[in-house]
Amino acid sequence: MELKKSRFDPPRSYIRGAPIILWLLFLVVIPLIFTFAMSFYSSEGLMIEKTFTLKNYRVFFTDPVYSRILFKSLRLALGVSLLSIAMAYPLAYMVSFKMVRGRNLLFMMCIIPLWVSYLVRIIAWRSILGNRGVINTILLAIGIIQEPLRIFLYNRFAIAVTLTYICIPFVFIPVYTSLEKIPRNILNAASDLGANEFSTFLNVVLPLSLPGLITGFIFSFIIALGDYIIPLQLGGTQGIMFGNLIWSQFGVAFNWPFGAALGFVLFIISVTILGLTAKFGSTEGGFLSE
Amino acid sequence: MSSVKGSRRLERRGVSLKLYGLLIFIYLYLPLMVVIIYSFSPTKTIVGMTGMTGKWYVELVHDKELLKAVLHSFEVGISAVILALIFGTAGAFFITKVRFPGKGVFRALVMLPFVLPGIIMGLTLLIFIKNLNISLSMLTILMGHVSFTTPLVMFQVSARLQRMGPNFQFAAQDLGATPFKTFWYVTLPMIRTALIGAALLAFTVSFDEIVISYFLTGTWTTLPVYLYGMLRFGLSPKVYAVSGLILIFSLSLILFMTKYIGRSAEEFKVKR
Repeated sequence: MELKKSRFDPPRSYIRGAPIILWLLFLVVIPLIFTFAMSFYSSEGLMIEKTFTLKNYRVFFTDPVYSRILFKSLRLALGVSLLSIAMAYPLAYMVSFKMVRGRNLLFMMCIIPLWVSYLVRIIAWRSILGNRGVINTILLAIGIIQEPLRIFLYNRFAIAVTLTYICIPFVFIPVYTSLEKIPRNILNAASDLGANEFSTFLNVVLPLSLPGLITGFIFSFIIALGDYIIPLQLGGTQGIMFGNLIWSQFGVAFNWPFGAALGFVLFIISVTILGLTAKFGSTEGGFLSE
Repeated sequence: MSSVKGSRRLERRGVSLKLYGLLIFIYLYLPLMVVIIYSFSPTKTIVGMTGMTGKWYVELVHDKELLKAVLHSFEVGISAVILALIFGTAGAFFITKVRFPGKGVFRALVMLPFVLPGIIMGLTLLIFIKNLNISLSMLTILMGHVSFTTPLVMFQVSARLQRMGPNFQFAAQDLGATPFKTFWYVTLPMIRTALIGAALLAFTVSFDEIVISYFLTGTWTTLPVYLYGMLRFGLSPKVYAVSGLILIFSLSLILFMTKYIGRSAEEFKVKR
């Protein structure tokens, strides 16, 4: 009894949490509850029929069109996260282990693209990949091609390139943080025991940075899975991903209850994956907690 | 002998790694440079670009709608920062100073707007707003922006509070300071730089936000939403000029921000 009392403060001190609890209720919890409720309504033309039905979920789970789009998006998200790791991990390794001077500057340079407007970065990729874009202009000027190639933009390749670009800092931060935490004398010990750099990496560095790696992987996965602007802007007809499928229910298709159901499916997937990070990943890069 | 060989191999590997790193830096920065170059190009292409011109930037001044959108972005950004500072700082004190059951779950819930895909925040807020019969306006966009800036501030401030420990406050109180005086003369000066850094970070993110705002925008648009609308008509020089301005503005905010946020990776958290 005594112990229990000392573990928590008296309930009257919880009043200090009032502002953040109100914020949480009105901007997070209640909107989620409304969405959950909406996902059991149905849409009649432009009206929303407020009677309980499982129709939306039934359609989602039985019509192969939707599960196909979901799986396509999951595959894309997986590819994007792997690509982001392939780029961000060596970069983090280089900055953390290979740089004697200018580490802080390089660290900043890896992070800066994160804050530069998301939309501007999308515009940049449209202008690089487009018909009259940078790649085509250069290829035409050199004379390798006579006609602009249409293979760069409005397909899954364009989505993947741009999403990877967006995701790199999100992998870099947690990986770099976990690499920085590795005590350097462990590496010396490994090399004293005769390990070369590669086996040191494989047996010491990689396992120790795994939590950061998992966190980065999961964050890029969620970002890639939930994005809708990039598929809309760069995806063309191939670019119907789960994100813009949801978006279209609120825009073009005007089927909010179905959109709410799809949104809830995405919510469950994201929360499950985030739960896994909390369990296996690091909190480094502090996306979940301090 | 073998160790010499080994170290030589090690160096070589370092070189190839650095080359790979350089390529990735090019991947990271080339697109940004392309936007800047296009925005100064007198023609619509960059090959055979003969000179530089600032005329696209000058033209922007005459776009009344654009100027309005810029103003709106500042209004939303500043209001969101103020609200996020209030909610976030209060939340940071609550979570670091008060021991209450279910703290882990509470913390995870607070982080949700930050870690969930923006589309989920956008659509849940849209559904909520429509259920309340509120029409889309500045207020609705502001709600969206307060949702993701608050955890950001809370995180920065609670990290600082945790590093500080409670002893300074105890000392102040032992010396007879009231809770308010303790806050004003001891705690606040110590978290000041965290607050400034968090405010700048929150503003930067808010200023660029589109994923959530796109759901919550009616006729009252912010700069990114306005720019998104311009894209419907293709990539015009004007689009590049607006992008260039946003780029330069964000970069200067970031440089300013680094003065206040520690350079440790732990303090850099941001959503797209």
